[in-house]
Amino acid sequence: MANVEPAVVIEGLGKRFGRIEALRDVSFAVEPGQTYGLLGPGGCGKTTLIRLLLGALRPSAGRALVLGRPVPSPVTAGTVGYMPQLPALYLELTARENVSFFASLYGVHSRQAVEETLALVELAGRADSTVSTFSGGMKQRASLACALVHRPRLLLLDEPTVGVDPRLRATFWAYFHRLNGEGVTIILSSHVMDEADRCHRLILLRDGRLLAEGAPAELRSRAGTSTLEEAFLAFAGDGT
Amino acid sequence: MSIPRTWAVTLRIVRQFRRDPRTLILLFAVPAVVILLVGYLLRSSSGGIRLGFVDETGGTAAPALQALGQTLSEAGVTPRYLSRPQAEKEVKDGDLDGAIVIAPAAQGTGVSVLLEGSNAQRSKAILRIARQVPLALSAASMPPPAESDLSVTYYHGGPDFETIDSQAPPLVGFYAFFFVFLLTTVSFLRERTVGTLERLMVTPITRAELVLGYVAGFGIFAVLQAIVILLVTIVVLQVEYTGSLAVVLLLVVTVTVAAANLGIFLSTFARTELQAVQFIPIVIVPQGLLSSVIWPIDTLPRWLQGVAHLLPLTYSNEALRNVMIRGQGLLDAGVAVNFLVLVGFAAIFVVIASATLRRQVA
Repeated sequence: MANVEPAVVIEGLGKRFGRIEALRDVSFAVEPGQTYGLLGPGGCGKTTLIRLLLGALRPSAGRALVLGRPVPSPVTAGTVGYMPQLPALYLELTARENVSFFASLYGVHSRQAVEETLALVELAGRADSTVSTFSGGMKQRASLACALVHRPRLLLLDEPTVGVDPRLRATFWAYFHRLNGEGVTIILSSHVMDEADRCHRLILLRDGRLLAEGAPAELRSRAGTSTLEEAFLAFAGDGT
Repeated sequence: MSIPRTWAVTLRIVRQFRRDPRTLILLFAVPAVVILLVGYLLRSSSGGIRLGFVDETGGTAAPALQALGQTLSEAGVTPRYLSRPQAEKEVKDGDLDGAIVIAPAAQGTGVSVLLEGSNAQRSKAILRIARQVPLALSAASMPPPAESDLSVTYYHGGPDFETIDSQAPPLVGFYAFFFVFLLTTVSFLRERTVGTLERLMVTPITRAELVLGYVAGFGIFAVLQAIVILLVTIVVLQVEYTGSLAVVLLLVVTVTVAAANLGIFLSTFARTELQAVQFIPIVIVPQGLLSSVIWPIDTLPRWLQGVAHLLPLTYSNEALRNVMIRGQGLLDAGVAVNFLVLVGFAAIFVVIASATLRRQVA
């Protein structure tokens, strides 16, 4: 593994919003072709970390390298896919129009790529319905399609499985692992501990600080607990 | 600069509009209805011209005037014969719309016109009649006036008095500004609140491409809207315009660039759509009142004239009037200067809009 260039390198990364320190001195490296889970309660800095990696925020301290380049970089912008926490879509447009709009922004003009992506998120049958008629889970799927359509090398997914039913969630995960097999790196955030076991590696965050980093099994054994939930509490070092 | 990316934004805006029939109606039907209302309100008083004839030649012009009066009666205008002081009094009091005075002059016969002046339609009709007088005089073997120019006296208003002819040109610019500003502010606010703007900003699209895509998207609708307004005024209200359509549309596009970028800039300062709508009384209403859409700027108090010269619509109105009424081209000073000032406004708004887009990256 050491001879493979990391997909993401974070060194001493910190972000302040006025007096609030959203992220403090976080460092880790992400191996390519793996799924990393950012795990922690709401407000722990998961979204801030993702937005720093996107270049949508500027760090107050430290730096982030994505695919070998400091962010934000116009070169990496085309090879990163981003799915925000709230399904950011154009409600007046159909699912297909939303996906092909984002495809065009990434320079993907093939109709086939759009159709394949819609099929993948199981929206092919509703591709011509406007997104405003969609349920929460369907919007989530359309949003994921917009992040995937240009076949990115790195996927940043902020709570991708919220509102998605268990069956489709399994489909998502199978697809994530298939992408990993193709060399795609995925960083996703979640506050659901039972989802964490499907990640290759976990990054535990609390109050903007890195608590621990490692494979799920490794974290459990290091903490000496049987569940990740207990492990998280053990690393947090108090009863909260 | 990537044309496909810019076009993707433009196409998206067009599609969003197509799904929003209410906004489309607002965009096209409202200006058409308003201009028809204005037109009919001003037109309704243009029938039945009250005209007076004043013959100071001691009766020598009587056959000519009678012949002219005959033709006029057939067209529904029956002139009355009055003495000059009486005609002056009646025109001034508005009992007559105007009077044509025939008097002996040093050379030939003098024709002068007294106009009440508050209704440009009637004033124009009377001037047209007055221009037929020399012909009628020579037909009656009277010496025609030496000078080709008529001496015209306005008691109220003046040759530039505002009516539908001069009201339609500023409305073209006003509606383009109003709708593009309103729709960009709300669309951009929505992009911010829904999160699509952040999503856009992390794709390879540049700020310039995004802004240009927006301008083009709204520009298409602004140009279509301008064409609808022009069609209604020309075909339905039968107002005659002389200037070039291309120059009118160029001015509309410039107004669109200014309005869209001002909208992008100001959308930063609104958190909700209600707050975005609150910009209308601040940005649109003063421009509607002060930029000579209704009242000519030189009739405003001096300090308000100063304010008027800080508003982009003042310049677009002046340019549009010069093109549409006076038939000036882009290179004539009356259009070129105003156009350049308008381009200046647009450039300033583009700069401040891109600055706020840059600030998205905190």
